[in-house]
Amino acid sequence: MREGFCALFKKDCRMLASGKFFLMAAGFLALYTAYVNLGYIRFMQMPPYNVYLYDPAGTQTEVSSLVHAVASLEAMDAALLSDANGVGLDASAEAVRVVLYAGAEHVDHHRADYALSLLRPSAGSAPEIIGTNTPEQKARKEITCELLFFELAAVGFLGIAAVLFQEKGMGVIRVHAILPLQKNLFLLSKLMVFLLSDLAFAVLLTLLNVGLADGAALLPAVLLQTAILSLMMALAGLLCALLLKDFRQFTLAYLIIAIFAATPVFLSANTSVKFDWIDYHPFYHVYMGLKNAYFGVAASLVYYIGSACAIALLFLAVQLAFRREMGKEG
Amino acid sequence: MKGLKYQLKSVLKDKFCLMTFLLPMVVAVALNFMGFIDLSSLGEHHFGVLKNDLPPHTAAWLERYGPVTVYETQEELTAAINEPSTNIIGVKADGASIKTVVAGDELDIFRQAAVTLPSLYEQREWAEKVEIQTLERSDILESFQDIFIPAVLIVAMFMGCTFNAMNIISEKEDGVAFVNEILPMTPSQYILQKVVVGFLFGSLSSIVTACICFRLSWQNFGLLPLIVLSSFVAALIGLFIGKLSESLMTGVVYIKIAMLAFLAVPIVCALIGVNGPLAVICNIVPSQPAFDGIMALSAGNMGTAIKDIGILAIHCAAWFVLYILIFARHKSE
Repeated sequence: MREGFCALFKKDCRMLASGKFFLMAAGFLALYTAYVNLGYIRFMQMPPYNVYLYDPAGTQTEVSSLVHAVASLEAMDAALLSDANGVGLDASAEAVRVVLYAGAEHVDHHRADYALSLLRPSAGSAPEIIGTNTPEQKARKEITCELLFFELAAVGFLGIAAVLFQEKGMGVIRVHAILPLQKNLFLLSKLMVFLLSDLAFAVLLTLLNVGLADGAALLPAVLLQTAILSLMMALAGLLCALLLKDFRQFTLAYLIIAIFAATPVFLSANTSVKFDWIDYHPFYHVYMGLKNAYFGVAASLVYYIGSACAIALLFLAVQLAFRREMGKEG
Repeated sequence: MKGLKYQLKSVLKDKFCLMTFLLPMVVAVALNFMGFIDLSSLGEHHFGVLKNDLPPHTAAWLERYGPVTVYETQEELTAAINEPSTNIIGVKADGASIKTVVAGDELDIFRQAAVTLPSLYEQREWAEKVEIQTLERSDILESFQDIFIPAVLIVAMFMGCTFNAMNIISEKEDGVAFVNEILPMTPSQYILQKVVVGFLFGSLSSIVTACICFRLSWQNFGLLPLIVLSSFVAALIGLFIGKLSESLMTGVVYIKIAMLAFLAVPIVCALIGVNGPLAVICNIVPSQPAFDGIMALSAGNMGTAIKDIGILAIHCAAWFVLYILIFARHKSE
């Protein structure tokens, strides 16, 4: 049995290598790393609103250094036109007037009052900081988690299905039906190859993008979540590949999963946009498990039990579909 | 002409091709309706307070700036502040004033809001008396769409690449490629038939997408040469991908890589603002002059648009000659 498993494992590795799967994974790793280090960290910044002051008579004496002085009302209008989130303060008359472009109501109130507060800056008390991450650490962890989830959920799913369709086309399933091997080995070797490659990908992606020291501390928790997601996606990919007729049909299923399953999860998990029904979305819990691992929050026991049950159920379904497929072929 | 009819028939049967044909149009419609989606809460400040901690008038004042959530215990408030997907600012009573609590990993805009909130509270009575002039903003998402619309158009223009690649790979898998080798058809006839399919669908997809995105007017007529030339280059690149791919799987991988490069290069160039020799090198990717041309046309810069049309014309000639050379050598071997 061990020899059979090793032979199947080697065959799957060779097949993935010849299908340029490992090359593609290495390419995506390089691309993601370049994106995080050269693009995301540089662009994911949101400076405070710019405040432009027109004060020809110099009536405002205590102005904060964050205020930009402008020479005329026209210059203030031009500045606001190009920076619609900015706030203009017109101190040319006796009373100060606030000028701003309309946005969301709450934000407008805050922008106006914030701009006014810069005219009379007070030392005040600095906010109490209770977290452990810096903005850059948070951004790195967040984007690494998103990229890993995308890689496992979309690219891994596509990869395993592509391999199985190729084998189906080559008649490997038919040959396997008459081999003196335990039938589950065929599925287990595939799961093992994808699990190992996903784990290696997760290790490299985390260390390269979160940083060596920070990343190494997170790895145990991240690898556990990666294993859960990888097994689920690989089993889902196998199931789709066994049930659907050809690779073209599969690409439709893939597109639906990529757009409709992943988008609401990303919105709910990363932004303040929350959907009431998101708790019923299975991807949301898996994604939050991965995200919590990156931010050092322990997942609940219910989540682990649910994940184990989901993997077991998916494996049973795949086993059934595989036996049906072998029966059809044989 | 008869061969072309067969080519069109085979493409129309392919769900993958039809899907890629319709996708940019669906995204274009979605982008047009994006203005109706309420994403305003994204930039809002969210506050968290402890139950019975703040006086009612302070809580009411805080609600002017954003939603306030009341937490029963200190632990719940701490967990909410530390939650990475939100930027909740904790607010506590501090004698007659207030003090703020943050996680420390917020973007500058939220941190600055937390720093200044106590002084906003102190100056609330003065701030209420100040006159505020609110100007109307035409579309909050306009700047957001500026980069999305050319990106969607690039996807549409380079759709022909997918069409041709998938068409040739299917032929290879079905064995039609071998039949083609012995058909009484010259290489140029073959190229013409193949290029026309991708070119026609790529152009059609881009024109419809452009109509939806820009609500086509005569002003945008300059887009047509850009669309035609880009679709032609894309169709030729699709031929290369089709020829290079041994199977459907590798074909899909190559198409994804090509699409990624077509999108990433111009967007990164636009965001970083690449200049000098690097900008010239980026023009090797044909989507870069196409993207640059669309941006130049929407800004009314005809000179740059004409330069980009010229670069695309050079691309068309270079890819065509390269394909003929490689194909002719392969044939003679």
